[in-house]
Amino acid sequence: MYQRKISNSRCSALVHIKPGAFATVQALDAISPLLRRRLRDLGVAEGSRLKVLRLGPFGGPLTFECAGQHIGIRREDAGRMEVAPA
Amino acid sequence: MNQFALFGNPNTGKTSLFNMLTRSYETVGNWSGVTVEKRIGTLRGRSGRIVDLPGLYSLLPLTEDEGVAARFLMEETPASILNIVDASQPERNLYLTLQLLESGRPMLIGLNMIDVARNRHISVDPQVLQRELGVPVLPIIARKGTGCTDVLHALGSLTAPGSEGFRLDYGPAVEQGVSDLCILLRTLPSSSAPRWTALQLLEGNEAVRTALAGRIDGEALDSILQQTGRELEAAGFGCDVSAHLRQVRTQRIARICTAAVQRSDQAVHTATERIDAILTHRILGIPLFLAMMFLIFKLTFDWVGSLLSDVLDGFISGMLSGWISAALGGLGASPFTHALVVDGIVGGVGGVLVFLPQICILFLLISFVEDSGYMARITLLMDRTMEAVGLSGKAFIPFIIGFGCNVPAIMAARTMEHRKDRLLTTLLVPLMSCSARLPVYALFAGVFFASNQALVVMGLYVLGMVLALALAKLFSRTLLRSEPSLFIVELPPYRMPQPLSLLRMTWEKVKGFLRKAGTIILAGSVVIWFLSNTGSSGFGVDMNDSFLASIGGALSGLLAPIGFGTWQAGAALITGFMAKEVVVSTMNIIYQVPDMAGLEHQVAAAFTPLQAFSFVTFILLYIPCLATVGVIRKETASWRWTFFSMGYSLVLAYAVALVIYQGGKWIGFA
Repeated sequence: MYQRKISNSRCSALVHIKPGAFATVQALDAISPLLRRRLRDLGVAEGSRLKVLRLGPFGGPLTFECAGQHIGIRREDAGRMEVAPA
Repeated sequence: MNQFALFGNPNTGKTSLFNMLTRSYETVGNWSGVTVEKRIGTLRGRSGRIVDLPGLYSLLPLTEDEGVAARFLMEETPASILNIVDASQPERNLYLTLQLLESGRPMLIGLNMIDVARNRHISVDPQVLQRELGVPVLPIIARKGTGCTDVLHALGSLTAPGSEGFRLDYGPAVEQGVSDLCILLRTLPSSSAPRWTALQLLEGNEAVRTALAGRIDGEALDSILQQTGRELEAAGFGCDVSAHLRQVRTQRIARICTAAVQRSDQAVHTATERIDAILTHRILGIPLFLAMMFLIFKLTFDWVGSLLSDVLDGFISGMLSGWISAALGGLGASPFTHALVVDGIVGGVGGVLVFLPQICILFLLISFVEDSGYMARITLLMDRTMEAVGLSGKAFIPFIIGFGCNVPAIMAARTMEHRKDRLLTTLLVPLMSCSARLPVYALFAGVFFASNQALVVMGLYVLGMVLALALAKLFSRTLLRSEPSLFIVELPPYRMPQPLSLLRMTWEKVKGFLRKAGTIILAGSVVIWFLSNTGSSGFGVDMNDSFLASIGGALSGLLAPIGFGTWQAGAALITGFMAKEVVVSTMNIIYQVPDMAGLEHQVAAAFTPLQAFSFVTFILLYIPCLATVGVIRKETASWRWTFFSMGYSLVLAYAVALVIYQGGKWIGFA
């Protein structure tokens, strides 16, 4: 339990990572199953290292890089992706 | 004959390779989901047939287009597999490769885009990969044709991997399940390895399960699946079977890549990132997109298209028509034949062919956007707007394709994950102004709004788009209330479209237009000409007493409130259902004019500017054409939705035209 707390305090949502900064995926559990599968298809899984590229206009999608590929998802979903800043 | 199936992740160059291997010119593009239907071609040298399939990430389909590929493996049992692996994304691509290897079929791997990989400092050793996987691996650059001859040769001598083929050990619990399932499957004739079928069942592959339904004991199957899940849990794995399979495969891929892939840590600041910094900029992105759209219209209607069109019109109505007249005279053709050919066919078909330059340029520009990689960025820019009306940003791809032709656009809707998104997009695509409506706009805008043609025409396109978004909001609130839309998009690296492939893609689409001119528009013109010359008293009546006049006249009362209550307009609208270009053919025949200038003169006399605007708006919206209705029926598999799409567009067109005409009159326009 204690361990978990520590890891949580380091955790953040992808949406809170500044463009240009890196993060490691901790959990995808809060994301809808369909989107989670798509992310896994694209190689985004627990432990993947991501770099946030930019945020779209007017609350538009967040773009990140993972293993050399650029992927866009909605900010709302990015808010459900648990990551640890790296 | 040998049959090969092309499998691979989306946007890895399957269709490029297919085109190279078969000398075809199927549409290629730079986004995920260009190919949504299987296509069969004959290999060069006639050594076999090859099937191009939509891309997929794993054999578990998520969308309709992926389902086409996944089902193909079960139902059509291709003899051999040609698997394309993107060398710049080896980890992700090999996941599908492992699943395909387990099927035990002869397989060849085309390691594609080695040039792209090299630019990103990734090098994949084909020899090592071949050793690790146990099947031949050939490096290729499909877009340029490099290595494609080797692929062709290798396909000829492809053999099954044999018993010592690729095999992954999934641990005792799963292996027990696999052997139990193999016993259950023993009695079934199957071209896939039983082990593969068993693994796919454990993974929860619906396509495989459906294919086996009724042929195996469902209860026994379920009990094995549950048993395996329980034992996996008992063995201390905290995940379900499919997640476990994925984990085992991912670990193996990591090992393979350690051996076969070399990456330099050198940071790559690619051109793509620099371009995206501008094109998807949070402030500049959307204005740049709109500017690009405006540029497309300017090029199509003002700067290039209409100039060429005038030249072509001069040729068709002047020289060609003269030659045909002279030839008919020389052959001693009757006045009847003469009138049929010159007024009916040359007038009807030629009147549409005049717009060939505009259509060519529009298709060329759309092909450029498709092949550059910008398409995926458009979905990114528009997602916020689309989300607000209950759609996914990805629906914008069908919308843009719809500017060319609604039929492939509706098929492109297959790539969306949610059924609701697909259905909504299918229903709304007909509001996108396709190239068939372009001749009508070009004619009317040329007459009434000559000084700002591009602006007026773009206004019509924007109107269609705005109405589509408004209706999306309405429909997603009322008819199709369900889960929110889903959005995730891969942004492929930009690339400069190759001129030759661009011209071929444009030609393929233009050919469709020409084919239509030679079939539907030709037949339509002949029928219209006959109807306009025959009446209850026989052939050769005055046109105002013709059958066409009575058919069109039946509608005139209904059309009067929206500004064009003439039998001519009514007739043009009815015939326009076959194909929207036929509206122009009909007018050409009805007004019996030798050339564009004459038709423009007639149209200017028959319509006021306000009536003309109301008329083109009505044409924009009033009904999907016959071919589009066919594809809506096919994609929705429902007559109800098909009739709905026709019904709502009629009501919408009438309402909008009414507002324009009555509102315009009220303000004081004529």
